[in-house]
Amino acid sequence: MSELEFLSTDRTRTGGGFEPVFRSPLADALAAAGPDVRDLSALGKVEVRGDVEGFDGLASAERIPLTPGRTLFLCAPEETARLREALADPSRTVVDVTGALAGLELRGERLLRRLTDLDLDGLPAVGAVARVTTIVLRTGEEFRLFFPQEYARSMAEVVLDAAAGL
Amino acid sequence: MSFLIPCPNCGSRDVNEFAYGGEIAVRPEARPNVRELGSYLYFRRNVAGVQREWWFHRLGCEAWFQAERDTRTNEVLLTERPRASRDEAPPGPEAPALPDTPAV
Amino acid sequence: MRLPPRPQERIDRSRELTFFFEGEPRHGFPGDTVGSALFASGRRVFSRSFKYHRPRGLLCCSGQCPNCLMQVDGVPNVRVCTMPLREGARVRGQNVLGSLDRDVMSVVDKIGGPFTPVGFYYRTMIRPRRAWPLYERFLRNVAGLGKIDRGAGRTRRFDTEHRRVEVLVIGGGRAGIEAARAAAARGEQVVLVDEGLGPGERAAGGSFEVIAPARALGIYEGGLVPVDAGQVLIRFRARRIVVATGAIEQPLVFPGNDLVGVMLPGAVRRLTDEWSLRPGSRAVVIGADERALSVVAELRSAGTEIARVVDLRAESPRRIAAEGKKGRLASVLVDGEGLDCDLLVMSGGRQPAYSLLAQAGARIEYDAGRGVFVPIELPASVEAVGAVAGELPSGATPAATYEGGGKARGKCFVCVCEDVTTKDVRRAIAEGFDSIELAKRYTTVTMGPCQGRLCQLPSVRLYARENGTDEAAIGRTTARPPWAPVSLGLLAGRGHEPARRTSIHERHVQLGARMMWTGAWRRVHSYGDPAGEVRAVHEAVGAIDVSTLGKILVSGPDAAAFLERLYPNRFGDLRPGRIRYSVLGTDAGRIMDDGTIARLDDDRFYVTTTSTGADVVSEWLEWWNAVWGMGVEVVNLTGALAAVNVAGPRARELLGRLTDLDVSNESFSYLDAKQAHVAGVPCLLLRIGFVGELGYELHCSSPYGEYLWSTLLERGADLGLRPFGLEAQRVLRLEKQHILVGQDTDSESNALEAGMPWVVKFDKDEFVGKWALEHVRERGLRERLVGFEMTGWTVPPEGGQIVVDGRPAGRVTSARWSGELRRAIGLAWVPAALAEEDAELAIRVDGRLEQARVRLRPFLDPDGERLRS
Ligand code: FES
Ligand SMILES: [Zn+2]
Repeated sequence: MSELEFLSTDRTRTGGGFEPVFRSPLADALAAAGPDVRDLSALGKVEVRGDVEGFDGLASAERIPLTPGRTLFLCAPEETARLREALADPSRTVVDVTGALAGLELRGERLLRRLTDLDLDGLPAVGAVARVTTIVLRTGEEFRLFFPQEYARSMAEVVLDAAAGL
Repeated sequence: MSFLIPCPNCGSRDVNEFAYGGEIAVRPEARPNVRELGSYLYFRRNVAGVQREWWFHRLGCEAWFQAERDTRTNEVLLTERPRASRDEAPPGPEAPALPDTPAV
Repeated sequence: MRLPPRPQERIDRSRELTFFFEGEPRHGFPGDTVGSALFASGRRVFSRSFKYHRPRGLLCCSGQCPNCLMQVDGVPNVRVCTMPLREGARVRGQNVLGSLDRDVMSVVDKIGGPFTPVGFYYRTMIRPRRAWPLYERFLRNVAGLGKIDRGAGRTRRFDTEHRRVEVLVIGGGRAGIEAARAAAARGEQVVLVDEGLGPGERAAGGSFEVIAPARALGIYEGGLVPVDAGQVLIRFRARRIVVATGAIEQPLVFPGNDLVGVMLPGAVRRLTDEWSLRPGSRAVVIGADERALSVVAELRSAGTEIARVVDLRAESPRRIAAEGKKGRLASVLVDGEGLDCDLLVMSGGRQPAYSLLAQAGARIEYDAGRGVFVPIELPASVEAVGAVAGELPSGATPAATYEGGGKARGKCFVCVCEDVTTKDVRRAIAEGFDSIELAKRYTTVTMGPCQGRLCQLPSVRLYARENGTDEAAIGRTTARPPWAPVSLGLLAGRGHEPARRTSIHERHVQLGARMMWTGAWRRVHSYGDPAGEVRAVHEAVGAIDVSTLGKILVSGPDAAAFLERLYPNRFGDLRPGRIRYSVLGTDAGRIMDDGTIARLDDDRFYVTTTSTGADVVSEWLEWWNAVWGMGVEVVNLTGALAAVNVAGPRARELLGRLTDLDVSNESFSYLDAKQAHVAGVPCLLLRIGFVGELGYELHCSSPYGEYLWSTLLERGADLGLRPFGLEAQRVLRLEKQHILVGQDTDSESNALEAGMPWVVKFDKDEFVGKWALEHVRERGLRERLVGFEMTGWTVPPEGGQIVVDGRPAGRVTSARWSGELRRAIGLAWVPAALAEEDAELAIRVDGRLEQARVRLRPFLDPDGERLRS
C-alpha cells in the first residue's frame, strides 16, 4: 500500500451500479453568487513535505512554498495523478489535498481588505481570512483563496456578505 | 494585545494568529522524583525581561518556532525554527524554591 | 438667522435641507451640521446634564464635550455639532423627561436628588440589598446618556477593513498637513485621518490620501490604529505614526461655568466663520492666550457687542461668576463688576491632546512654565507635530478655580460630562481620595464622554491646590482607548463566527436532523427519534456521520518510534493493517485525548482523535516532533476526509453490497484496517466499535462524502438502516462504558484511575506521562471512574453528587436511559474503595438520595462478542 488512494479524488470507479459524484464544498454556498466569484475547489492540489528544490516533473503545476519543508502544488484536475507520480520519492511525503481544500477566486483588493489583514502586496501567503487559515494568491486584482473545505459555507457567507457591503 | 511576531516562515504577523506555547522548560533526562517532576511541570521562571518561549503559528504556516520576547514590552527580539536535538536545548531554568506541591 | 454671506463660510445657500427636530420641520443648508442648523433656527439648549438635568448649550462646537449629544435617526449620543446635516434627518433631545426646554427632572438641580453628593449611591443604595434592582432601575432612568432600543437588531451595517500604510498622520490641522506633505514628498505612502470635514480642502494638491471625518480610536502595540470612519472600522497597521491632534481649549472653573451661552473660543470661531451665525449679541471674553482673545475681532465682524475683555495675561481677577436666568447666561461678574451679556467666551489656555501619544508609550510630564501636560520621550516610530508636541504660544496659567463671592453661588463645574462640581472634588479629597487615580474612580471626573479632554487639566489643578502640592506631583490618569467615543456596532463588525460543516451537512438538513454545536462543528444531535435510532443500531444497522473525527497522518521512518514515545500504549509492534486504541497523555499523566491508531504500512500511521481534540492533538504532535526532531511528518487530514460509521448486526451485509473486498469475519476482523473501493469511492475502512456493535468506519475524500452517505442510505434501506445522531451514539457507547474524553474525564484524570490500566505500558522505556503515572501507581489510586446502574427509574443529572456518609465524594459524568437494558445507566467518579462490583452508591437527585450499584464491566455484551462477530 504505497499510495493512499482514499485521499485522492481521481481514483473513483464507475460501474456495478455506482457512479461516484464529486461534490464541491462550495456547490450550495455559491449558488447565488455573481460572476466575480468562482469555485476553484476541483483544482488538483498536492502537498509535499520534504525537498522540492530540484523538482521539475510537471512544468504546468503552480508551486507555492508554505515553509521551507512544505510546498503546495496546484494543477488542472486531470493532471493530479501525473503530478503525484512525478513527486513521489522516498524522501518526500506526498499528500493529495484536492479534497481537503476548497478554492475560491474573487476580484478586488478592497474586498480582500475587508476579509484579511494580510499584506496584499506580499502574496502568496498563508494567513487568516475571515478567521480561517487560508492560502492567498494574487494575480493583479484577482485573488485565489484555498482553505479547509469544512469552512466552505462559512467562508462563502462572509465573502458574499463583505462584497455586498462594498 | 496586538504586537507583531516575526514568524520565521511567514514574516511579521499579529500576535492573535499565534498560539502561545509557554516558556521553554527542559524535560528531565531520567526519571525525576516527585519534587523534580513538579518543578518541571508547574514551575516557570516567569521573568520580567527577555525569555525564550514556544509559539505556534495557528492561523498561518501551522509550525512551531521559538521566540525571545521581552515580557515587559512584548518586544520580540528574535524568532527561529526549533533547534533540532535535545543536546542543543538552551540551558534550563535555575531551580526555583519549591513548596511541597504534589505533582500527581 | 444667518449673517450676510461671509468669505470662509461652508454653507451652500443655494439649496435648502429640511430636517425634523422633535418632529417639527427645520431648515439648514448643505455644509451645515445638525448643530449649526439647530443654532440657526434659534435653539440654544442642546441637552440636559447627566445628573442635575441642567440645560446645556454648545460649548466647544468641535465634538469634544458632552453638551450637544442628541438622538439622530434613532442613534443615541450623536454629537450634533459635528454631524453633517442630511435631508430628512430626525433629531431628538435625550436624557430628558418632557422636553429639552422643560425637563421635569431638573428639580434635581434645585432641591437635590439621589446623586447630589458624589459617591452617594455607593454609600446609601446598598441597603437593603434586596432593593438594589429597584434602585438600579430608578438610577438607569434618571441618569445616563441616551436610550437604546432593546428590541433593535442589526439595523445598520458596520464593516471592518484592514489597511497597511507607511505613514499614518492623525489630525489634519496645519502641522498634520505639513507632515503629510513632507512624507509624501519623500516618496512615502501616506494616509491622513481627521475628525472634521475640513482637511480635504486644506490638503488639496497633496499626494496623499485623506480620510475624514474619521477618528483614531487608539494606538496599540505594533502600530495598530483602529480608525472609526463611520460605517467602517479601518484597522491601520502603520510603520510610522505622526500624531497631530493639536491642543484642546480648556474651560475655566467658576460658578455658573456651564450656563447656556458660555462657550469656548473655538465654538465662536466655527459658528461665525463656517456657518455665518452670530453666537450672541453682547459678549464678555476671558482668555489666557492670544488665540482665545483674537475671537474679539470675529465677534465684532459678526455684529456682537463686546462688553468686556479680560486678558488673563495682563490681569488676574480674583472672582469670576456667571449668572443665568432659566439656565441661560444673563450676566457675568468679574471682581464685582456686573456685565449684562448673553455670551461668555472663556479659555484657560490650550492643553496638548496627548492621549494617543500616551497610549503609544510616550512619557507625559507637567510643564510648570506653561501650565500644561506635554509629551516627552516618544517611542520609536511615533512622532508628534504641532500643538500636541507642545508648540503653543505662551499664555497665562489661570487659577484652579475662581470664587464667585457674595451672592453668586451657582454650581462650579470641574466636569460637565458627569456633573462633578468643585464641592464634590473637595469632598472626595476630604474623604481620603488623595490619589488622582482613586479620586477619578470615586468622582468619575474624566470618565464621561469627553474622556478628560475638558476636565483632566482643571481637575488636576484643583487636586493640586486642595492637597497643597503642585500639578507635577498629582500627575495624570492613564490614557486608555478608545480616545473617541465609538459605537459598539462598529466594534462588533459583521459578527461572523466561523463554522465547520461536514461534506454531508446538507443531507442531514434534508433528513430533518436537529443540529448542534460541538466546538466549531455543526453536528447532528438526532433525526428526531434517538431511541429508535439506538434500536436500529442494535437490531439492524445504523449510519452516523463521523467526519468531524480528528484524522492525522503520521509518516516517516521514525513514525513508529515517535508514537511509541508519545502514547502510553505500544505501537512499535502493531502490524500493518491493524488498529489499536490508546489514550493520549501529558507529562503530568493526564488524559488529553483518545482515539484509534491504524498502521497503514511500515512508515505510515493513521491516527484518529476526538472531534473536538483534532486541532489540539495535531498541534501537540507537531510540538513533540519539533522538540524531538525526529524524522516524522504530521499531516492533519481532519477536513480532508469524510467518515461514516456503519454499525449494527447487518452492517456486514450492507458493506458486502458495496465493495469487492472480502468482508467475511475471517479476512476482515475486528481491529483490521483496509483500503478498498466502497460504492466506487476509494476508502480506508476501519473495523472498530465505539457504539458496541459490529461496525465499520469508512473514510473517504470529502467531496465524495455526500455520495457515499446517500448510497449507504439507499442500499441499506431494505436492511432497516437508519441514520443516527450524537444522542443515540452517547447512549450506545455508554452501554459499553466507552468513555468520552472531556465528558467523563477532565484535566485531572489519568488513565489508571479512569479504569484503563491496560493502555499504559509501563515496560516501555519512555513515553510522555510515564513518570507521572509511575508516581500515581506508587501512591495508589484515589478515585476511579466506574459504571453504575440505578436501582430505581430515575436518570441522575450529569454532574450529580455521589454521597458517602453524607458528604460529596464523587460525581456522575454521564447518565442515560438505556432502552435496550430498560435501566438508567451511567459513569461516575467514586472513591477508589467503592470501585467494586455491586458496591452501593448514593446519588443526589433533586435533593433526594437515589441508590445505584457499581458495574465494572460493560452493561451490554461485556465480552465484546457482538463487536467481534
Ligand atoms: S458642542 Fe458639540 S461636542 Fe461640544
Ligand atoms: Zn508562520
